[in-house]
Amino acid sequence: MRVKRLLVLGSLIVLVLTLSLAFTNGALGYYPLPLPGVRLLASWYLYTTLNPWYPMFTVMSPEAVTAIVWDYRGLDTLFETAVFFLAIVGALALMRGVSLKSVLNNGGDKDKGGLSLICKTATRLLTPLIIAVSASIALHGHLTPGGGFQGGSAAAVAPLLVLVIFSVYFLLSKGVSEKPMLILRTAGLLGIYLTALVAVLAGLLTGLNAYVFQNQPKSSAPIGLPAQVSNTLISGSLFFFNVFEYLAVAGGFTLVFILLSIPEEIAKSFISGESHE
Amino acid sequence: MNELNTFLFNIFLFSLFFNVGISLYGIFARPSLIKKIIALTIFSDTANVLAIVVGYREWPSPEQPPIPPVITKVEPSSEDLRQFVNQAVDPLPQALVLTAIVIGLAVTLFLVFLTLQVYRLYGTTDVRRVAKLRG
Repeated sequence: MRVKRLLVLGSLIVLVLTLSLAFTNGALGYYPLPLPGVRLLASWYLYTTLNPWYPMFTVMSPEAVTAIVWDYRGLDTLFETAVFFLAIVGALALMRGVSLKSVLNNGGDKDKGGLSLICKTATRLLTPLIIAVSASIALHGHLTPGGGFQGGSAAAVAPLLVLVIFSVYFLLSKGVSEKPMLILRTAGLLGIYLTALVAVLAGLLTGLNAYVFQNQPKSSAPIGLPAQVSNTLISGSLFFFNVFEYLAVAGGFTLVFILLSIPEEIAKSFISGESHE
Repeated sequence: MNELNTFLFNIFLFSLFFNVGISLYGIFARPSLIKKIIALTIFSDTANVLAIVVGYREWPSPEQPPIPPVITKVEPSSEDLRQFVNQAVDPLPQALVLTAIVIGLAVTLFLVFLTLQVYRLYGTTDVRRVAKLRG
């Protein structure tokens, strides 16, 4: 069995090396890989992402990826956020009726269980650091690689660590439970939709032309968000999108992690209908 | 030197293709739902790396590799911008991959919940036994 596996692995490696060698020497036809340059669309994105001389097209963000995610292809990201939250709604629907309050009441001691004292102390020290780093990833999303999604996922690691190293009861006793996370997630989503609509609302009030998802002012639509606030680059709507997405993603993932860590017997008793009042 | 770079790049590319094959085998041939989910995440990660490789470019000069699509100056001159366009990799696949990663994570979480539910109700995650259940 062991020898057979090693043989399979070795033959795969040899096959990859041979194919690469053949490809490099033009045995399978000559293709210049990697490509000599980027496509025209990509160079257009790169050229206009922070370009004060093209006010019609620029996003005023030095980070081209965030500029694409929240401005050039902003609607894509909006619907992606919708898909993400539909998945979380699906998880919530599967766990309907399983109340975390009764888990806390039935479970009893919040200090019981978990890993050793060393792990617990290290987690107590690490958790604030994780939150700080994730906030920095999210708030600098328009300047450096990162953004709301990445920051939110990093922030959700902190409650996950606490879940594994302490227990679900400890996390619940600290106030990180189902309802506050649901509220955080909903607030983040509302913020995203408000940021998408703020230019249109201002346009309706002032009677000027404006678009949904508008970021910088255009010549045909003079309403836009400021690129700089007191000499600090915030890139218009990108900063607000990142902040609200951070809240929404961190809340959503924490919610799912809490639901996943409900003890098996309690979830089973809810599913089989024993605990219905 | 250039030949060696191309060779290493091709090894990378072909390993990704074989990874796709291995993970597809895992999805189809393994009976356990958990192993299917693990193979699915390997598959989606490989597809994401392939998408990023599409946006990679040849080294602008033999000494200098391509740079990430981030301008490092707050007020760039037009000369800075021209150099940036000539050296940076394609940002569009990276943005699409960011989208794909988040959706993949959400779908994986949903699949994990479904598997957990199957295990709670039937006591097994083996698809051969789940398929034989009636009612």
